[in-house]
Amino acid sequence: MKRAAVPAFALSVLYGCAWHQQSALNPGGPQAAKIDTLWWSFFWLLGVIFIIVMTVLLLTLTGRRANMEREALEVTHKASPQTESQTRRIVTGATIITILILFVLIVASVGTGKGIADLGFKKNPLTIQVTGNQWWWEIQYINGDASQTLVTANEMHIPVGRPVQILGQSQDVIHSFWVPNLHGKRDLIPSRTTNEWIEADQPGAYRGQCAEFCGLQHAHMALWVIAEPEDRFDAWMRAQLQPAASPSTQETIRGQQVFLNNACVFCHQIRGTTAGGQNAPDLTHFGSRRGIAANTVPNTKGNLAGWIVDPQSMKPGNHMATIAVNSTDLQPLVDYLESLK
Amino acid sequence: MTATQDFTPQIPNQAEEVEQLHRSWRHPRGVLGWLSYTTHQAIGTRYIITAFIMLLTGGAEALLMRTQLARPNNGFLSPDRYNEIFTTHGTTMMFLFAVPMMEGMAIYLVPLMCGTRNVAFPRLNAFGYWMFLFGVLFLYWGVFTNAAPDVGWFAYPPLSGPQFTPGKRTDYWAQMITFTEVSALCVATEIIATIFKMRAPGMSLNRMPLYVWSLLIQSFMVIFAMPAVVIASSYLLSDRTVATQFVNPAEGGDPILYQHVFWFFGHPEVYIIFIPALGFVSAIVVAHARREIFGYTAMVLAQIANGFIAFGLWVHHMFATGLPQIGEAYFTASSMMIAITSGVQIFCWLATLWTGRPRLTTALHFIYGFLVIFVVGGLTGVVLASVPLDWQVHDTYFVVAHFHYVLIGGALFPLFGAFYHWFPKITGRMMDEKIGRLNFWVLFIGFNLTFFPMHIQGLMGMPRRVYTYPAEMGWGPLNFIETIGAYIIGIGGILFIANVVSSHRSGRIAGNNPWDADSLEWATASPPENYNFEYLPVATSRYPLWVDRSERAFVTGLRNDRREALVTTLMDAEPHHRYVFPASSIWPFITAIAVTIGFAGSVFNPWYIVWGSVLSGLALVGWFWPRGDSEAES
Amino acid sequence: MTEFRTIDVSGLPSYDVSSQSPLWWGQLMITFIEGTMFGILIAAYFYTRLRMDVWPPPGDQYPHLLLPSLALVPLILSCAGSYWASESAKKNSRLGMIAGLLLNLVLAVIALAMRIVEWHSLNFNWKADIQGSYVWAFLGLHTFDYIADLVFTAVLLVLVLIGRYGPKQRLGVHVDSVVWYFLVLIWIPIYVTIYWAPVFAGSQQ
Repeated sequence: MKRAAVPAFALSVLYGCAWHQQSALNPGGPQAAKIDTLWWSFFWLLGVIFIIVMTVLLLTLTGRRANMEREALEVTHKASPQTESQTRRIVTGATIITILILFVLIVASVGTGKGIADLGFKKNPLTIQVTGNQWWWEIQYINGDASQTLVTANEMHIPVGRPVQILGQSQDVIHSFWVPNLHGKRDLIPSRTTNEWIEADQPGAYRGQCAEFCGLQHAHMALWVIAEPEDRFDAWMRAQLQPAASPSTQETIRGQQVFLNNACVFCHQIRGTTAGGQNAPDLTHFGSRRGIAANTVPNTKGNLAGWIVDPQSMKPGNHMATIAVNSTDLQPLVDYLESLK
Repeated sequence: MTATQDFTPQIPNQAEEVEQLHRSWRHPRGVLGWLSYTTHQAIGTRYIITAFIMLLTGGAEALLMRTQLARPNNGFLSPDRYNEIFTTHGTTMMFLFAVPMMEGMAIYLVPLMCGTRNVAFPRLNAFGYWMFLFGVLFLYWGVFTNAAPDVGWFAYPPLSGPQFTPGKRTDYWAQMITFTEVSALCVATEIIATIFKMRAPGMSLNRMPLYVWSLLIQSFMVIFAMPAVVIASSYLLSDRTVATQFVNPAEGGDPILYQHVFWFFGHPEVYIIFIPALGFVSAIVVAHARREIFGYTAMVLAQIANGFIAFGLWVHHMFATGLPQIGEAYFTASSMMIAITSGVQIFCWLATLWTGRPRLTTALHFIYGFLVIFVVGGLTGVVLASVPLDWQVHDTYFVVAHFHYVLIGGALFPLFGAFYHWFPKITGRMMDEKIGRLNFWVLFIGFNLTFFPMHIQGLMGMPRRVYTYPAEMGWGPLNFIETIGAYIIGIGGILFIANVVSSHRSGRIAGNNPWDADSLEWATASPPENYNFEYLPVATSRYPLWVDRSERAFVTGLRNDRREALVTTLMDAEPHHRYVFPASSIWPFITAIAVTIGFAGSVFNPWYIVWGSVLSGLALVGWFWPRGDSEAES
Repeated sequence: MTEFRTIDVSGLPSYDVSSQSPLWWGQLMITFIEGTMFGILIAAYFYTRLRMDVWPPPGDQYPHLLLPSLALVPLILSCAGSYWASESAKKNSRLGMIAGLLLNLVLAVIALAMRIVEWHSLNFNWKADIQGSYVWAFLGLHTFDYIADLVFTAVLLVLVLIGRYGPKQRLGVHVDSVVWYFLVLIWIPIYVTIYWAPVFAGSQQ
């Protein structure tokens, strides 16, 4: 984005790349790009206005226009008629300019809104239903063919260059789906379905986060949108549609038994096993995901062990039950879950 | 002593009459007496002090939050504590500080500026204060018994509903709203009646000081906006306590309807807070630039337009819920129109300052600070009015930055200016100007250090209301700077309190009109006596203290053996009839207790509504029962 | 040194029973507040109705129309009593005030009684569904105000009867009529919403 380059560069010098994984000003798709363009036009225009107003403000303190006489204000408390009419002209002019600028801004804003709306409804869209839960995202790839319908959680893969329709829903309270590099936010509201079109025009990992306060762990409700070239996306899709890999090592076989014999199965599903719970994220391909607990921490064996042993210390108040897993069972369980690629 | 300071008439029998006035306006003694005060100075001061304590409380809560956010993954506050604190902070600042503070200032200043002796309904005024105080105590009782609300200051259902927030936290919050709205409506009613009917003779509508205009507009906004929050909080409360279905999506209720109703109140609420502050700005600019306001008519019309437009743009708080495009365009346009009316006012102040002779007092420092900050807040407001931009920055720190720029810049800076400007009137002593200027700079720097980086942080993806954030996000350094800024603001607050305390004790004696200001409150003693004016003034100009001595006039012939003032006509303020204020009375306090029993009890058991109503009814009969002389017809 | 001009107001009356009184304006503001409240509730009712396919919600009977419509007669007539009392208050006619207030009270109590009888025919309560919540909110709030004003009217009647009244109480009678007109006036859109909206804006599947 050329227009954005200078200030964005200045900002990124401060912080490096960390800034850009969840930034409204580093668009990865046409929707965010349009908003980004609109932002910089607002920024420059409003910035100029700010500077002008501040200059006038300073002038009231110091300089005066030469032809404005100094009256005996202490006595009359009035400026002279010439000064008044001169000032009136300036103020009227400023007001008219304000109205014109706002008109331009309204047109620009409404135009951008229309432009974004036109980006949806292109051919061959992908439809993904995002359901907000306290405090994780259920992601369902909608497909007329039931065998192609995929349910996963907290990580969404999309093909580059293909429009994606996000159908937003909520199971409990209001959440807001927001991946700033791709588009603005759209609330997920119980009893309604909201609609938003996103599209990525370059591959990358874009982070998003719940943007409507949804209770205790609102802060830890993130998701990743991974944009990949079409062929890699298809490969990912094919892999995800498979049932879970059967455990192959001694450790992971034991781990699977630990999982299936514990309360885990009441909430979690692992397709291809007897675990069929629907209240919590689907774990069929858990090992392929980037994060744990709605991306509270990266998906490593150490983090996973910590999460299973004491979910309440990592994400206090979350709805995952603390299950007593004895220490000898823990490592196999972790190994098993991480093997679910 | 300039000529204008000498504004008291000399009239035969003056000493005797003043002595009589003194006696009839004397406060009753003792604790019961103290609970019975009905003079506007006493009630106004109580509002101001209580609201100021709430400002300090809300500020302390802000510091706790900033401490938690100073670095990533901080463990200073637990998530539940953090959520309670940000909710209590927002609630306190909006409902228990900002609105009551503006009301308190109005109660103190409006009767003085209008040249009368009290607000039109002194006992209602006292009742309103007690309701506000009991609302404060009610909420903070919850806070200190571990039942602080934790669902944000606008408490969106279903999160705030019975299913997701069991317990009494949200009920405390919703019922606290009821207390404060009763109080606000009492004040609005009496301010309107005072401004309409009790202005000094000669103070026709087009001679009213701009501050009085701002209060008139604000009061009407309260009248039309507060009923919406009555309904929003009642939706919540009745869903929670008597199982109605108003906002329950499972039974046809609609959480979005709650948002509409809440923001139909919530947006005007912001203007309810800052329109009186704009009134402060006008009053201070006129007095300290030493010239008449530039564009009086334009200012009045702009304020009125502000008041109307404020009711037409609530939906810009809900752009992310998904709207039809035509609605988006309408609400974008209406939201941006506010920039026109605000712009006109800013241009007029700048013109006044430019063509005047500004004295750089502390009060005027705060006005300049206001202009800088408020312009930034106004411009970011234009950003938020744009639907596509709002989709990105809504509910992020950009919005946090915006509304602090508008509310602190737009209301708190003028308020501090007002404190420095009117402190001499209220206490009779000047505040220290040296500390005052230091005070200003510390607050100004601290404020910008705290809130400016939040704009960037919001664009870089940090949502509001998160109790912590991962280090990888890169938000840490800005957050750290903001926390430092917040503590600097804290120091500014301490400086202000120190200045108030020392000036109150040993500041320079102010005299009637230390600023050589224009409006009627400066025509009487500092601090004013309970009756305000020995002889009610007549307003012979828009700037009654700036007219020539020979043009001044006073009202005589009011009875001084009881609390009398003059009722004038609405438009032209011609004397119409005399008006007797009620004496001091304990009944407002008793009634407030009765109503409180009903309100507070109903959180636990709906039947308390009935008991509370019966008790309040009895108290009201006591309130209105005629006593003493049966006031025979004369 | 009386160089200042003065306006002597000692000749002005010390009360005025009319719309010039601040109290009248205060009372007018209260009717604005309540009017806005009911207005928002009525708007919310129709907003909610538009979101539903079936109205009234399944299981809710249509409210009866006869009794509530008949109850409008004494209700509207009671305004005449109120008007009579308020005009008599201006003229300081004790008899007129007593008669007017009494007429107002009696008719208002009859209308209230009819309303309460009608409640029993509603087959849903406020917990049942969203229509129930709104209908009972309308009934509850309006009846609450209604009874409060009846009590106030009764107290004024007692004061006038026992002769403990002066200009203040006369002004009370006058502004009481403002409140009463408002309560009667606002009942009409509420009545239409509660009883007629299910008929003209309803739909069944």
